[in-house]
Amino acid sequence: MTNAITEIRDAELLFVIGSNTTEAHPIIAMEMKRAVLRGAKLIVADPRQTWLGGWADLHLQLWPGTDVALLSAMAHVILAEGLQDQTYIDTHTENFEAVRASVADWTPARAEAITGIPAADIAAAARMYATTRRAGIYYTLGITEHTHGTDNVFCLSNLVLLTGHLGQRSAGLNPLRGQNNVQGANDSGATPVFLPGYQRVDDPAARARYSAIWGREVPADKGMNLNQMMHALRDGDLKAMLVVGEDILVSEPDVAGLDRAVSELDALIVVDLFLTETAKQADVVLPAAAFAEKDGTFTNSERRVQRVRQAVPPPGQARPDWQILAALLERSDVEPVRGVATSALTPALIYQEMASGTDKFAGISHARIENEGGLQWPCPTADHKGTDFLHQGGPMRGKGLLVPVNYRPSVERPDADWPLCLSTGRTLYHYNVATQTKREQGLLDRHPGCFVEVHPDDASRYGLHDGGRAEVSTRRGAIEVDVHVSQRVQTGMIWLPMHFSEARANLLTIDAGDEVTGTAEYKVCAAAIAPR
Amino acid sequence: MPDDARKLYRAERDVGPAPDAPSTLTVHIDGQPRTAVAGETLLQVARRAGCDVPTLCHDERLQPTGACRMCLVESSDSRRLVPSCRHPVQDGLHVQTASARVLRHRQALLALYAADQPEQIVPGSELEVAMRRHGVAEGVPSVTSARAGRPEDQNRFIQFQPDRCILCARCTRYCDEVEAVAAIAVGHRGPETTIVTADMRGLLDTTCELCGGCVDTCPTGALVEKKAAPRQMELASLPTVRTTCGYCGVGCQMDLSVDRDKGQIVRVQSPPPGTTTNDGNLCVKGRFATGYVGHPDRLTVPLLRDRATGQLVPSTWDEALDRAHELLVDAKARHGAHALAFISSSRATNEENYLAQKLARAAFGTNNCHQCAAT
Repeated sequence: MTNAITEIRDAELLFVIGSNTTEAHPIIAMEMKRAVLRGAKLIVADPRQTWLGGWADLHLQLWPGTDVALLSAMAHVILAEGLQDQTYIDTHTENFEAVRASVADWTPARAEAITGIPAADIAAAARMYATTRRAGIYYTLGITEHTHGTDNVFCLSNLVLLTGHLGQRSAGLNPLRGQNNVQGANDSGATPVFLPGYQRVDDPAARARYSAIWGREVPADKGMNLNQMMHALRDGDLKAMLVVGEDILVSEPDVAGLDRAVSELDALIVVDLFLTETAKQADVVLPAAAFAEKDGTFTNSERRVQRVRQAVPPPGQARPDWQILAALLERSDVEPVRGVATSALTPALIYQEMASGTDKFAGISHARIENEGGLQWPCPTADHKGTDFLHQGGPMRGKGLLVPVNYRPSVERPDADWPLCLSTGRTLYHYNVATQTKREQGLLDRHPGCFVEVHPDDASRYGLHDGGRAEVSTRRGAIEVDVHVSQRVQTGMIWLPMHFSEARANLLTIDAGDEVTGTAEYKVCAAAIAPR
Repeated sequence: MPDDARKLYRAERDVGPAPDAPSTLTVHIDGQPRTAVAGETLLQVARRAGCDVPTLCHDERLQPTGACRMCLVESSDSRRLVPSCRHPVQDGLHVQTASARVLRHRQALLALYAADQPEQIVPGSELEVAMRRHGVAEGVPSVTSARAGRPEDQNRFIQFQPDRCILCARCTRYCDEVEAVAAIAVGHRGPETTIVTADMRGLLDTTCELCGGCVDTCPTGALVEKKAAPRQMELASLPTVRTTCGYCGVGCQMDLSVDRDKGQIVRVQSPPPGTTTNDGNLCVKGRFATGYVGHPDRLTVPLLRDRATGQLVPSTWDEALDRAHELLVDAKARHGAHALAFISSSRATNEENYLAQKLARAAFGTNNCHQCAAT
């Protein structure tokens, strides 16, 4: 997020796209509702009629996967009507003419034909966004979980740069992170392309920095992202995996092929709280401590590094992940933290070593958080207060890059055999693959099992009734679920939550990924449905 | 939201000083001149000055209503005591927050609240704290409440105890103004006035999202976490640990009340409003879904695949770590570092993710390290 969460309540306009905020980020949704009660305008773009959509001044119910068409048309309207902030564009951006040319043909009428949103609504949304000063964009996996996810994000950043809605309170571009430490896991370098602090692995200077800290050479090879790993696993190119806290056999797209590939690995080591589907296949299962049983830090969506503190002891012999990983490092003759005996190792010392190699976190330490509360990076020095909103006085990279984007349809679209568009997502009462939440009866009372949302028109077409059972199938697999007949979805689309290992939505999803990020297209594939 | 509702909120918020009023004012609180900003309330100024003005119905996230009358003070612009929580400051006002008249009123009011409560007030509740700090007038006999509850409510998280309710309506206003789902309301008449749902249905059959914000804001303990209810009288004496929620990316701060003897989390509360990013709020998962932590399904010992039987069997940590290391080393020796993959976790801490990528890079010489946060 370029803004802080507490800035939301002071926004004058919220443009929420591809985010079912009330269910996936309930506390941020409270802030959004608070802003609306204070008079802020709200635009929601989502293929489903979400709860937040009911609060919106304008709900743009687009066809799944057509975000680029919608956003290009909004940029078209802004430029055609001269609503852009030309001073900001001239001072702080580059590549303006290319984007102007790329959206020249994207009239709202053309976008209406693709997205299904009335042209007048697209134009109204563009005008509202461009002409309101403290206007923030909020998005999540509805934007990124597409083969054109990166294009979607570029379209949003184009809107931000064209209107200059950046670098001030309550105005910016805000991806809401889905998991507690998505931000921090990336910050900490657990990605193939970046060392800690987003220093590129292909930058020799960055490699030299951590090589010096570790006393070991940082490899220069091109590592695989998760999507590429899953492809390599299917192709038999991966031989050994260490998996910490992810149930890949439920979470990853098109899981049917993965079951077999995982069973053929030479080595599978799983660190987890529970004997998950993936752990059941492992050669070694290491029992880990839960969040309330260990110390450390999480970094939230607004880049705030906050403490995690041990409240209760882990059960039996379970240990925190950091102790397990440190023990494996030791066995490889690598000091977990250089110059610190393993018996003296603490999360505070681990953080200190990580922060020592990057300006972004150099001023943050466990001791400071203890005294001052959470700190938002960038925080380069021990007397720096942290940074609430980014890009003040102009984009950090110098000039904001406007990127022309061409609309590309999703990889798999409905056809005669697979006539429906299937999308997946989260509900309020469960979390990811429900490893935790299915163990809470009070949540199961609300959502005991998997269901599919079907529009009433489709329900009568396919002979389904509310409360009945149905088989949902795609080219990759089939699952049986309860039927919820609901106007929340459009005619021709169905929607499933991803939470249930008993009815794995990811037996259905397609493993096509975004070219840049590898993020899979969980949001769009072609499906069929029949009563059971 | 509907336009008429929005207008209502706007209209309430528009109540304030006249447009030509000076923006900085002086108010005399207990004889001391204090600076105030137009639009502030007497309560805000008095509390900033360090005065101990008790409140029960007040929550800074909510529109003030002046329902509980605990915050009444003497103000030179009124013959009667005024509720300071919704009385706007005016230049030159003289305010008494602890005069004999105010204290007499306060103690009498607390006696009336106490008369309507079960014998033991919930320790640590705002009502109990106010009674301890300000004293209770004597001679008010106990009265039995006729308020109805919802004994049939099947939800497993939130319990309503009508005999502890003082009808301050913080819970219903929180439900309307913050969570904004309007699942509960003040209903019925006279001595039967109570907190209702539509047709007194259980919360699972209403629009309630089970966020539990009503429990956190309740000043008397009339609302309580159902699982913690049997221990309600000792909750305030349990130690608490401040930590960060492990579910979504908002990073709510929460205070875990812990039973150290049993090693259990007894309840989860938000830190007070205005102190952390979540501003006193939590959602259903953060507040109520910690049962997995002490769940009997948890793994408690390392497991190794027995080469003869193919079954996972318990082992010691040393055996398990040695085997894990040996398997990775063998795979690298036979197939090269590129055949190894390290999947870290966006659920794990920064420190753990740092060590995971260090293990991949420094120990095994590969950048094949990623996590489920490919977004």
